[in-house]
Amino acid sequence: MQSPWTRPFWLVGLGLASLLTAPAAMAETFTCPETGGDLVFGQEAKVNSLDMHASSTISTRNIAMHLFEALMTRDENNNPILELAESVTTSDDGLTYTFTLRDGITFHDGSAMTSADVAASFARYNELGIERTILANVDRWETPDDLTFVIHMSVAQPTFLEDLSSFSVPIVIVPEENAGADPLELEPVGTGPFKLVEFIPDSHVKVERFEEYVPNAAYEDRTGFGGYKVACLDTVTFRIVTEPGSRVAGLETGELQAVEDVPQASVERLNANPDIAIVPYENFWIHIATPNFERPPTDNPLVRRAIAAALDMDEIMLVATDGAYNTNFGFQTSNRKVYSDAGSEFFNVNDPELAKKLLEEAGYAGEELVLLTNRDYTTMYNAALVMAEQLQDIGMNVRLEVQDWPATIATRNENPDAWNYHFTGWGTNTSLGYLAVFKFLAPPRAIYALFDPDTYGDPVFNEAYQDMVSLDTFEGRAEAFARAQHRVMEHGLALPFGWLTKNQATRSNVHNFVPFRIPRMYNVWMEQAS
Amino acid sequence: MIAYVIRRLLYVIPVLFIVSLISFSLMQLVPGDPAVVVAGLSATPDEVERVREQLGLNEPFYIQLLSWYGNLLQGDLGTSFLLGRPVVEVTVERLPVSLSIALYALVLTLVFGIVLGIIAALRQNTWVDQAVMTAALIGVSLPNFWLGLILIVVFAVHLGWLPSGGYVDFREDPWAWLRATTLPAISLAMLQMGLLARITRSTMLEVLRQDYIRTARAKGLPEHVVVGKHALKNVMIPVITVIGIIFSLLLSGSVVIETIFSIPGVGSLLGSAILRRDYPVIQGGLLLVATMLLLLNLLVDVLYAYFDPRVRYDGD
Amino acid sequence: MATEASTAAVTATVPQRRRRKATVWHRLLRHRLFVTGMFLFTLVAIGAIFADVLTTADPQKMSVRTRFEPPSLSYIFGTDNFGRSQWARVLYGAQLSLMIGLGVVVLNAIFGTLVGALAGYFRSLDNILMRIADAFMAFPVILLAIGITAALGPGSINAVIALAAVYTPRTARIVRASVLVAREMEYVQAAKACGAGDWRILRRHILPNCMAPLIVQLTFIFAYAVLSEAVLSFLGLGAQPPIPTWGNIISEGRQYIREAPWITLIPGIVLAATVLGLNLLGDGLRDVLDPRLKVQQ
Repeated sequence: MQSPWTRPFWLVGLGLASLLTAPAAMAETFTCPETGGDLVFGQEAKVNSLDMHASSTISTRNIAMHLFEALMTRDENNNPILELAESVTTSDDGLTYTFTLRDGITFHDGSAMTSADVAASFARYNELGIERTILANVDRWETPDDLTFVIHMSVAQPTFLEDLSSFSVPIVIVPEENAGADPLELEPVGTGPFKLVEFIPDSHVKVERFEEYVPNAAYEDRTGFGGYKVACLDTVTFRIVTEPGSRVAGLETGELQAVEDVPQASVERLNANPDIAIVPYENFWIHIATPNFERPPTDNPLVRRAIAAALDMDEIMLVATDGAYNTNFGFQTSNRKVYSDAGSEFFNVNDPELAKKLLEEAGYAGEELVLLTNRDYTTMYNAALVMAEQLQDIGMNVRLEVQDWPATIATRNENPDAWNYHFTGWGTNTSLGYLAVFKFLAPPRAIYALFDPDTYGDPVFNEAYQDMVSLDTFEGRAEAFARAQHRVMEHGLALPFGWLTKNQATRSNVHNFVPFRIPRMYNVWMEQAS
Repeated sequence: MIAYVIRRLLYVIPVLFIVSLISFSLMQLVPGDPAVVVAGLSATPDEVERVREQLGLNEPFYIQLLSWYGNLLQGDLGTSFLLGRPVVEVTVERLPVSLSIALYALVLTLVFGIVLGIIAALRQNTWVDQAVMTAALIGVSLPNFWLGLILIVVFAVHLGWLPSGGYVDFREDPWAWLRATTLPAISLAMLQMGLLARITRSTMLEVLRQDYIRTARAKGLPEHVVVGKHALKNVMIPVITVIGIIFSLLLSGSVVIETIFSIPGVGSLLGSAILRRDYPVIQGGLLLVATMLLLLNLLVDVLYAYFDPRVRYDGD
Repeated sequence: MATEASTAAVTATVPQRRRRKATVWHRLLRHRLFVTGMFLFTLVAIGAIFADVLTTADPQKMSVRTRFEPPSLSYIFGTDNFGRSQWARVLYGAQLSLMIGLGVVVLNAIFGTLVGALAGYFRSLDNILMRIADAFMAFPVILLAIGITAALGPGSINAVIALAAVYTPRTARIVRASVLVAREMEYVQAAKACGAGDWRILRRHILPNCMAPLIVQLTFIFAYAVLSEAVLSFLGLGAQPPIPTWGNIISEGRQYIREAPWITLIPGIVLAATVLGLNLLGDGLRDVLDPRLKVQQ
C-alpha cells in the first residue's frame, strides 16, 4: 500500500507541503517582460570544474546550478520541492519511494530524459558524489518504465527526502552516456534553462538560453532552485574577478552588469549611484569559530565560557564586515518554524569582568590560545584579529595562526595540538535547515573532538543530535534541535559571532535579480538600451 | 658552430635535471592538504579522507617521485587536483595569455628602454639625461603589485579609460586585447624599462668612446649615421643578451600582476595552485617555465654566437 | 648576469690602502646620487631603529572608534580598518623589512662567497656548483621564492631563507668571476709556488679582491630582498599578521583603496623610497669602487 506524496507525514509539521503539489493556480505564470541581452557577472572565486557531483565549492554551484537540475530541490524558504519529478509517493513502511518523472524533459544534447538517465546519475553519485552519505540507507533502485524511478531503502529514514533535496552538492541528473565520467570531468550537459557555451578556466564561463527548456508548470514563478524557470537573457557570462576592487570598478564602468560580494566599504558610494542597485543577501552564513576540546586551554568548559562571556560580537562583526551583518541569535533564522532562542544567554555577553572571574575559576594560567584563521576570507581574518584583541584585554595569551583556507582545514583536521579556535562560515548547511546545521558537530567525527571522541565528545549534545535526526514527528525533532542548540552555547561547542550579509549588486537595468544560495540568472531580465 | 650548439645542449641537460629535481622536492615539503580543496568548503573530515585516497596522496615520497619521473619521460606532468585535467594541457592553454602579455611588456621595455637609454647617452650630463635616469631609477624601485593597484584606481576607476581586469583573446578582438593588457603590461614592464634604459645608456656611452666611432665622426659622417648605423648595432649586442633575463623577470612578475588584474594566465594559475596546494600544477608549471627560459637563453646564446663568432671559443 | 670582468686591484701596502679608503669615501661623498641614496636610506633606517621612540602607539592596538581616520596631526599616516595607527605600523614595518633585507644580505655574503670561491678556485667543484646555480637561476625569481615559502610555510624567517636561496647563486656567480680573474694573478701564482695553502691564498690574496663587486652586488640584493619580501607578504607568505609588514599593510588596505587610499599609498611610497635609496647607494658604490661593472642582476 502506498500513500500519495501529498501527505508526507514528516512534512506536515512544516505546513508547506502544499507547495510540493501546487497545481498551476490562478495567478499568472512568469513571462519575461523583455527577452534578450548579454549579462556579465563578476564572480569572486575561481571555478575548478562544473562537475556538480564531485565539486562542492560554492563557485561551482554558482554556475553549474544554471545548467543542471535534480529530482528534488529546495524552494525560496528552503523547503523540499519537486523539480524533475512530477510526483513522489512513499510507501507506508517508509522503505520505498516512487518518483514519476516529468515528461518531455530534454537534455542540452537533445536527448530525452528517462529513468535510465536518473539511475545512471544516481549510480555515479553513489560512487564519487561528495555527499554520497545521503544514499547510505538506500538498498537499490529500479526503473520499471521510462518515467518511473523507484528507490528501495534498507532502513526507513524519515528525513530521506529532505536529504535528497539538499542543494549542497545535489544529485543532478545527467545523460546516461556521460555518467561514467571521472571525478571533476563530467560533461556539462544537463536539463537546466541555460546551456554551456564555453568554459575558460580562471577566466569565464559563458552560458546561453536552452531553447528547448520546458519550465515546470507546477509553479508560476521561480522559487529557490526550482519553480517556473525561464531564461530571459540570451547569454550569461560568469567572469572570474577575484579582486573586490576590480569587481566594483567593473560594475561602475558597466563592464559587469552584476557582481557578488561587494565590500561594504564601497556600498555607500554605490548606493549614491543611480545606475547601480545593491542587493544585500542577508544571513548568508553564520560567522563562526569552532573550538578544539583536545588542546588546552579550550579543553576546559569554564575557559570556553569565559571566552564567550568576554566577546563583544557587535564589535567583532562590525570590523569583520564593515557593517554587513546582524547579531541575531540562533543557528536558524527566526523566520523558520524550527527557530529557537535556547542558549541565547550565552551569546554576545560582552562582560569582561565576568569573563575574568570565570578564567580565574577555571584556573587559567596563561596557556597559549591559538586562533586559526585565513586570508582568503577577509571577514574571517578580521574577526580573528578583533577576537584576539578582546581576549588579550581579559588577560589571555593569544596567538594568531594565519594560513590559507585549505591549510587551515588541514590543520584543523590533522593537528589537534596546533589550534584552539578555527574560523569559518556556516552557510550552506545552515540554510539547508536544522537537520544539516550541526553536521560538523555530529558524532562520531565532530570537529571539536576529532581524535578522541570517547574522551572529549559531548554526550549531552550527541543525545540531542540523535533525537533531532531520528524522531518521527517534527515537534519532537524541533524540540531536540532547541536542546542541541542550548547545549552548543552552554558548553561552547561552537562560537557564533553573528550573521553575515553578502552584498550583491547589479546595474539598474537588470531586474528581478534575487540571489538565493547562488546568483540565480533565470527569470532575470534586462532593459535593453533602445 | 654545430659543435658549439651541441656543447650548449649538453650543458642544458644536467641543468634541466636539477631544475626538475628542485621543482619536485619543493612541493613535497608543503604542509597543506590538497584533498581539502577538492572536497570543498562544507566537506566533513570523512569526505576529505575519501578524496585523499582517491588522489593517491597517501603514497610515500619516493613512490610519488618515481612515478612522477616515469610520467615525465612520457611528457605527462600529472593531473591537476583541482581542475581534474592534465597539467600540460592547463599550462599550455594559458601560456599564450601570459606570453602575449609578456611580449607586449617586452616590446614596451625594448622600445622605451632603448630609446630612453640612447637619448640619455646622447644628451649625457644634461637635464634630459638626468630626468630620464631619475625616471629609470624610480621605475626600478616601484613595487609592481602596488603600481598595478594604483594604475587600476587611476586609469580604470577614475578615468575609465581602460578595463580594470579581465582578458580578451587577441584573435577574438585585437583592440579589446590591447585595452585589457595595457595596464598589466605597463605594471610588468616598468622595472625592466628602467633596467634596460640604464644598461643601454652605459653601453652607448662606452660605444661612443670607441675608436671606430671617433673615426666615423672624424670622417665627417653625419651624426645620425654615426649613431644609427655604427653605434646602435653595437649597443644591440648586450641588449640581446639581457632579453632572456628580462623575459624571466616579466614572467616572474606575472604571478602577482595576473592575480591583481584577473588574467587567466600561467602566473595566476601558479599563484592559485600554490595557495590551493595543487602539487602537480606547481611542479609542472615551475618546470615548464624554467625549461622554457633555459631554452630561450640557449637560443639567445646561439644567436649571439652566430653573430659574434668570438664567443664560440670562449669555453664555458 | 655576471660580468666576467673585474677590477684587478693589486694588493697595496698599508699606508696606501688607508689613503685609498679615504679617497673612496671622499669620492662617494661627492657622488650626488650616492648621497641622495644615503639620505633616503638613512631616513628609513632611523624610522626603523627608533620606531618605539617615534611613536608611542602599539602597531597592533585596535580601536573601533578610530577606524579610517585620514592622515592628520594626531594620526600622521591615518588609521586602518581596525583603527590602528598607520604611522606605527609603517615604522615597525620598516624595522621588519630592513631586518629581512639584512638577513638576506648576510646569508648571501656568507654562502655566495663560499660557493663562489669554491667554484672559482677549485675547478673540480666548478662544474657541479655552477650547474646547480644555473638550475636555481633558471626559475623566475619571485616564482621560486613563492614556491620555497609556500613549501616552508609563511613567516619572516622562511622568507629570509627563500630569498637567500634565490639570490645566493647570483652572488656566487659574481664572486666566482672575480676569483677566476684573481687566481691567475702573478702574485697568487707566486704565493702558490711558495707553498702557501689553498685556504690561506683564498683568504689573504683572492677574496679581498672580490670585495668591490661583492659589496656592490649585496647593496642591490638588499634592494631586491626588500622588494621581494613585500611581494611575498602581499601574497600572505611573509611575516604573519598582526605583525605589520609593508606588503601586509598594502594587501590589507587594498580593499579600501578608494575609501581610504592612505592605507595603501603610504607604505607603497615608503617601500619605493627605500628601494630607490638602496639602488642609488649601489650605483654610487659601483661607480666609485668598480667602475667597469655595468650590468647587474
